[in-house]
Amino acid sequence: MAKPKVAFYWCASCGGCEEAVVDLAEDILAVVGAVDIVFWPVALDFKKSDVEAHEDGSVAVSFINGAVRTSEQEEMVKLLRRKSGLVVAFGSCAHLGGIPGLANFHDRKSIFERVYKEAPSNANPGGVLPQTQTTVDGKELTLPEFHDTVRTLDQVIDVDYYLPGCAPPPDLILGAVTAILEGKLPEKGAVLAPDKSLCDTCPLNDSKPEKVSLAEFKRPHQILADPEKCYLAQGLICHGPATRSGCGERCINANMPCRGCFGPTKGVRDQGAKILSFLASIAGLEGEEKMTDEEVGRLIGQIDDPAGLFYFYSLPASLLKRKNLRQGA
Amino acid sequence: MGVTTEGKPAAEEKSLRPKVLVFCCNWSTYPGFQLSRLGEGDEGDREPIIITMCTGRLDPELILEAFSRGAWGVFVAGCPPDECEHNGNYKTRRRILLLKKTLGPLGVEPERLALEWVSTGESAKLAKLVGDFTARVAQLGPL
Ligand code: SF4
Ligand code: SF4
Repeated sequence: MAKPKVAFYWCASCGGCEEAVVDLAEDILAVVGAVDIVFWPVALDFKKSDVEAHEDGSVAVSFINGAVRTSEQEEMVKLLRRKSGLVVAFGSCAHLGGIPGLANFHDRKSIFERVYKEAPSNANPGGVLPQTQTTVDGKELTLPEFHDTVRTLDQVIDVDYYLPGCAPPPDLILGAVTAILEGKLPEKGAVLAPDKSLCDTCPLNDSKPEKVSLAEFKRPHQILADPEKCYLAQGLICHGPATRSGCGERCINANMPCRGCFGPTKGVRDQGAKILSFLASIAGLEGEEKMTDEEVGRLIGQIDDPAGLFYFYSLPASLLKRKNLRQGA
Repeated sequence: MGVTTEGKPAAEEKSLRPKVLVFCCNWSTYPGFQLSRLGEGDEGDREPIIITMCTGRLDPELILEAFSRGAWGVFVAGCPPDECEHNGNYKTRRRILLLKKTLGPLGVEPERLALEWVSTGESAKLAKLVGDFTARVAQLGPL
């Protein structure tokens, strides 16, 4: 029997998800042995025309990482969708928009202004901005269009499964590949990670008080965090209560609070709202009835850049996105 | 949390009547407020009300959803904190404040969200507050 065809593709991403596949180490040999990799721009020299040559639906699965920012990415993921039986959104950026999705606090115009005109490292006296078409010495050159907005993969094509994380850890990748090869997949649309909160599996959970109350918010660079004590209880904002488990508590084990890259648990439509909600609940909980409005304002004011913090990985997937996007601009 | 019969979409898309959603506490502000609005004309002409069991139960996700579905403004009426039987309103105070700080970068002016404390029996005050809020939101226009 022919081996199942598998494709990997990257969109707006950092390359870490590609690294995660390589991080399968010797396990990757088993995967490579069991499948026929037909497309993987970072590692293999296949072209778009090679993908086009496959029959529609004949690629068993495409793992696509990165958010969708350009016309080229949109075209490629639509092509891969057509050719593939299954599409897995691989990693935080494809799943929720991820770090590239934070660019949605701005739009194309302001990004171009900043990057090509205002940034101090620029020498662009003509104020030239990227063009999709330009003629140089009588030759026509083209560039993909830079869209106004960063989108999650499922805002562009139909997605079958999600492998969360920045980047997804090897055990979950291997689990997903095995499930696909053995045809033991959960219902369509599932996130291939445990449906528990990170706190449930966090090694510091034992030191998390029953009732957390924060009299002050601190930032990681301001204190030397105790690696043995729940970060929230130390006054550091940790997204663990509103984040899905499955990463292996990587940040926690590196003495850093969680920033939510695994996204929310099932049923939550807006991870930022959940983070906001639990933080507001525990801020100044102890003695709340004695606090004046000014004191509450000062405490809440200690949370720096709340929108950026709460939507660290999920802005494009949020309910509000941003005004321009909602208006379809 | 239940949606009253008034929870149907307000007015026509075309008429530029501001779409304001009011969250009211079931145990205090809601009954009086509802009575005070009897005889005010068509239900469809008024701000839809969603009853909460306590504003402390009002999930910020619902407020964001209201905005994402076209509300021009969201008004939350809760019992004054020391009158709340569940101590939920201290939480609400912090949540709304933090929401207001978060809305701006998401493209929603913070003034589109209001929290006011209203005691049982102060339905006239509430009606006025909602009226004033609606007027302010009308100035801002749709989202
Ligand atoms: S809040 Fe953070 S540190 Fe504390 S138990 Fe949850 S995940 Fe662990
Ligand atoms: S601790 Fe949080 S941010 Fe870090 S890898 Fe895990 S889910 Fe992602």
